Amino acid sequence: MSAEAATYARPGEGEAVNGTALPLVVEHVAKGYDFNGKVVPVIADLSLTLRKGEIVSVVGPSGCGKTTLLNTLCGLLAPDAGRIRWHGRQVVGQPQNVGYMLQKDLLFPWRTALANTMLGLEIRGVAAAEAEDRSRAMLDQLGLHGFADHYPATLSGGMRQRVALARTLVNDPDVLLLDEPFAALDFQTKLLIENDMVSLVRKGGRSMLLITHDIEEAVSIADRVIVLTRRPTAVKAAYEIELGPDRADVISLRENPDFSRYVRRIWADLDVAIQ
Amino acid sequence: MTTDIETSMVDASKPAGSGPSPVARAKWTRLRFGIAVLATQVLVLAACLVLWERATPKGSPAAFMFGSPSAIAGFLMQMAQDGSLWRDAAVTGMETLLGFFMGNLVGTLLGLSLWYSRFVSRVVEPFVIALGSIPIIALAPIVIIWFGTGLVSKVAMSTLSVVIVALVTSYKGAVGVDGDQINLMKTLGASKFQIFRKLVIPASLTDIFAGLKLTVGFALIGAIVGEFMSSSEGLGHAIFKAGSLYIIPKVFAALVVTIVLALVLTWLVGKIERLLMPWRRQA
Repeated sequence: MSAEAATYARPGEGEAVNGTALPLVVEHVAKGYDFNGKVVPVIADLSLTLRKGEIVSVVGPSGCGKTTLLNTLCGLLAPDAGRIRWHGRQVVGQPQNVGYMLQKDLLFPWRTALANTMLGLEIRGVAAAEAEDRSRAMLDQLGLHGFADHYPATLSGGMRQRVALARTLVNDPDVLLLDEPFAALDFQTKLLIENDMVSLVRKGGRSMLLITHDIEEAVSIADRVIVLTRRPTAVKAAYEIELGPDRADVISLRENPDFSRYVRRIWADLDVAIQ
Repeated sequence: MTTDIETSMVDASKPAGSGPSPVARAKWTRLRFGIAVLATQVLVLAACLVLWERATPKGSPAAFMFGSPSAIAGFLMQMAQDGSLWRDAAVTGMETLLGFFMGNLVGTLLGLSLWYSRFVSRVVEPFVIALGSIPIIALAPIVIIWFGTGLVSKVAMSTLSVVIVALVTSYKGAVGVDGDQINLMKTLGASKFQIFRKLVIPASLTDIFAGLKLTVGFALIGAIVGEFMSSSEGLGHAIFKAGSLYIIPKVFAALVVTIVLALVLTWLVGKIERLLMPWRRQA
């Protein structure tokens, strides 16, 4: 496999670059589960970095511990070994200014779309009027104008995931951690939301780590794709995705001939056995 | 029931000027179903009453043993006229309401707060199971010794019948909250109290209301058992007295009032539920 565009994550790269620390540096993290008294290793040794304004996708064979990785990154699980540094600092508990989104929208059924969006601002004690204005504006930006007062039960799956995205983005996070957020949506809905999300993330200069099993999604969205090995997980390869200067339109990117080259190469890397 | 989206979608697809809209037709279908259910219920009840009346002619031994609908109706009229129906219903209703309120308040507060500490909830668990397995009737003699023969002892019986159920259902609701939702709250920087207030309490409402509906009956049983043991008024007293005097139709008459009281209280809880959980109405 030629690796013209492939670079591996460089551990130890966390020190200040150009005067600012990298948003996220993961160094030799390991994590296992206790199963009937035996420790089952899930993540063997994983290092990766996320630069400012960069979108990184992490793909891996199913069951490779992607979700464990995400929960470890956002401080819901403590790593057994290694270091996680946010903006150059190790954090105890939950890191600040990090948005978190899962495949499940996790909307609260008793809150309207607007009230769900306001959740994070409310928790941080932002004044109600300001929180409402910001949340309404965010819903509008995501194409949910007129649905602010709807309860989740009356919204479609795609709209619910848009509300979840609004709830994440309204807190103005530096870094977004996403775990297959659109996997449950149909293809068209997924493309449209991804497109909106990527343009908002790029416009805001935010960094994003997207965990997915969808290689096409990974390539179309990311500046860099990190391929994981089977359990116990480690980084197998990393690819810089170079698909021209305009990366905000993830739909037309898919027509780029290089797009399918990347997809094929990563597919080969994943080494999926076909029975 | 219909949402804005539904309505607008259906309206858009409706060809201009073609009779009643699909929405109106769907409404009519639902309404017809409801009427059919109600009519069948009334018919079944009427049939039972007619059979009962036929089997218990006036003056027969069967009428003495089992009463008859007409005799029951007669006692109901008489009790309504002499005012004892309203007085007994009011007394028992008050005892039930107070016991229902206190039992659920205490039980729900304890049940929800057990969410706070895994340690405390594990310590408390066997005690709750032990207390929950006590038949409340067995406590009646002690309750009367402690709280006297008046209103307080009935309210205490009613409260005791309710409190453990309320505790268990609300605790079940609280620990059943989706772990991912809790994680979401954590990543948003929520404190434990914020998670409790903004997630655990509202998420437990469904279970809490299921408990409320269940405990209406328990509160009523508690109050009536209390009245059985010692009282001078209330539906339990009326049932007990009529039973001791072998006036079977009067027992049934008091029972009918008890049933109506239970239905009214259950309906009220449902009303409050819809008021407090509007998102379930819209869904």
